[in-house]
Amino acid sequence: MSSSILYIEDDHEIGGWVSEFLKDKGYEVRWQLSGERAVEEAAACAVVILDVMLPGLDGFTIGQRIKKAYPGLPILMLSARTAIDDKLQGLEFADDYLTKPFHPDELAARLEVLLRRSVVKSAEPLRVKHLSVYEAENRIVNEDTGEETLLTGKQYQIFMYLLQHQGRVMTKEQIYESVWGESYIEGDKTLMVHIRYLREKLERDPATPEIIETVRGLGYRVRA
Amino acid sequence: MRWRRNRGRFRKSLTNRYLLLISLAMIFMPIMFPLASILYWFVNDTFSEKPAVPVEKYTSGTVLEKMWHEEAATLSGASPEAIERRLHSIQLEYPEISMFWVDGSNETRLQMPVQPSLPEVWSAPYTVQFMKNAVDGDPFTSVAFIGGEVSGEGFMVMQIPRKYISVQQPIASETAMYGLFITLMSVLFIVVSWLFFVRIRKRLLRLRSAMTSPHTVTGLPQPVALTKLDEIGQLEEGYNHMVIQLEEGQRRQREEEELRKSLIANLSHDLRTPLTVIRSHIFSMEREPLSEKGKESLSLIESKIADLGGLIDNMLSYNLLASGKVKLNMEPTDVLRTVKESAAAWYPVWEKAGIEPDIQVRDEPLNWNVDVLWFRRLLDNLFQNVVRHAKSGQYIGIHTEEREGLEGMLVISDRGPGIEGGSQNKGTGIGLAIVDHLTREMGLGCHVESSDEGTRISIWRR
Repeated sequence: MSSSILYIEDDHEIGGWVSEFLKDKGYEVRWQLSGERAVEEAAACAVVILDVMLPGLDGFTIGQRIKKAYPGLPILMLSARTAIDDKLQGLEFADDYLTKPFHPDELAARLEVLLRRSVVKSAEPLRVKHLSVYEAENRIVNEDTGEETLLTGKQYQIFMYLLQHQGRVMTKEQIYESVWGESYIEGDKTLMVHIRYLREKLERDPATPEIIETVRGLGYRVRA
Repeated sequence: MRWRRNRGRFRKSLTNRYLLLISLAMIFMPIMFPLASILYWFVNDTFSEKPAVPVEKYTSGTVLEKMWHEEAATLSGASPEAIERRLHSIQLEYPEISMFWVDGSNETRLQMPVQPSLPEVWSAPYTVQFMKNAVDGDPFTSVAFIGGEVSGEGFMVMQIPRKYISVQQPIASETAMYGLFITLMSVLFIVVSWLFFVRIRKRLLRLRSAMTSPHTVTGLPQPVALTKLDEIGQLEEGYNHMVIQLEEGQRRQREEEELRKSLIANLSHDLRTPLTVIRSHIFSMEREPLSEKGKESLSLIESKIADLGGLIDNMLSYNLLASGKVKLNMEPTDVLRTVKESAAAWYPVWEKAGIEPDIQVRDEPLNWNVDVLWFRRLLDNLFQNVVRHAKSGQYIGIHTEEREGLEGMLVISDRGPGIEGGSQNKGTGIGLAIVDHLTREMGLGCHVESSDEGTRISIWRR
């Protein structure tokens, strides 16, 4: 997958190293030392990696500008400040957040998730176990049988929500509120019922689910 | 109890106290007015020879009588012609007075005007009768012996209808007028003083409302427009001065806060950037052919760098928090929801570290008044501690417990070696200090129990 990444970092050593690393991974990296031309450059990119501490315009301002110009473009913030300080500034616009010093593998993993969210409408199917998910066409094919798996609107939305946050545990509240658009009432059995039907359609063996994993006490997860 | 409260309220209201004052004034007025009159007459009779202000020549009977007696005294030894000349000249001055005189042989002499009822010669019984009639009668009568009582030169009499000197006894004759006048004056007094008071009260209330309704953004009271330069005006001026000082103080505080924040941000940046660079080189070295021992060293260096990063964060965060410059935005929040979301985010980390989460929280929400961001930070610190220091226990428990007198208690436990248990990674102190500080700031109670079998942290709302 060749995707263009806009990377804004003022430190030469770190910038050089991260660019090299990402290029090795097969990404096309546009490394900028400052955020002056960030908004123009962002047009051609699939994801933005932004350092918080920059000369001139700071990362927060640039991030907010990019988000305003391209609301769908995911932004990953790299920060060398204290978590508290960044929280005070507000990171509502950022899609993900990584504190320095970070492990390059973690950066790669986060980028993967963000890119999937952004470039998800490509024709390329996403493989999850025995399923191929064609998101652009809203189509799920069971590769075991070669047949299409038909889901109801809500079932499809739940599955897509988990898939977009693949690898992350989503709480029942988060899933319910995202899919139904109303606040979750504790003890509500609706979500459980929907998950049960969803598993019956997706899983090879609904009694021992492999795709949608239950995280006891919290919610559900589709493993990466 | 109620009486005392009412009394307290009564004493607190200027209006009520003022009304009490007015009422008292009204009760004492009927006593005060006659008292004042008596005092006035007493002073007048005792200390002044002449009436203070003789507006009319007839106003005072006393004055007329005095004049009459003085005239009689000066006529001592005068001839009848001289007496009559004098009487004529008095008549010119006081035309309303009728007068006559009786000589030493009791014969009626000059009459002005002539009164047919008077006898030619005054007998003793008639004289007595005349004197008796004259006392308090109308006309007002004054009899004066010419040249004194024992001279035998006769006496002279003046008479004037009472209507000319009626002012002398106003209470007796015009009580209604007097009462009306007093009532009118009282009403006027009440109205004027009430208006006066109402205006003072209005100005004071305006000042009070300016003090108690702070600006929505700055949270400071607003200055008021000056009204007059009296005492309240001075109060307003002083108040405005105080507001300006407050604004100045707040501005300075904001500046300090900004300075501190940017200092800490810069420090954090300067400390972390080299760490990131070191880490990048470790990553490069990992790809080089290395011996087992070399690889082991590298992974140790890497974990130490991660610890150092966390420590820097905690240290600077604590500095920022302890400075008291950080404002918490407290709002009612279902903390269990926050706990679950935070735990969900940590889940992969725990899995990777071989820690098994056991999460059982109650279904009903636990609504506490907290700052969500800071509460997350608190949880992050607790969860981080488990990963760093209690990995060996391979367990993290997140539970709610019901305790009497509490809405619910959040318990986070692990099976690590305990805080004193000599975890290889030191540095729990600052993390727990942040937890301690945050719980206190958010009005939460926090209790830490630690033994060599694990650590148990309970959090509840105070």
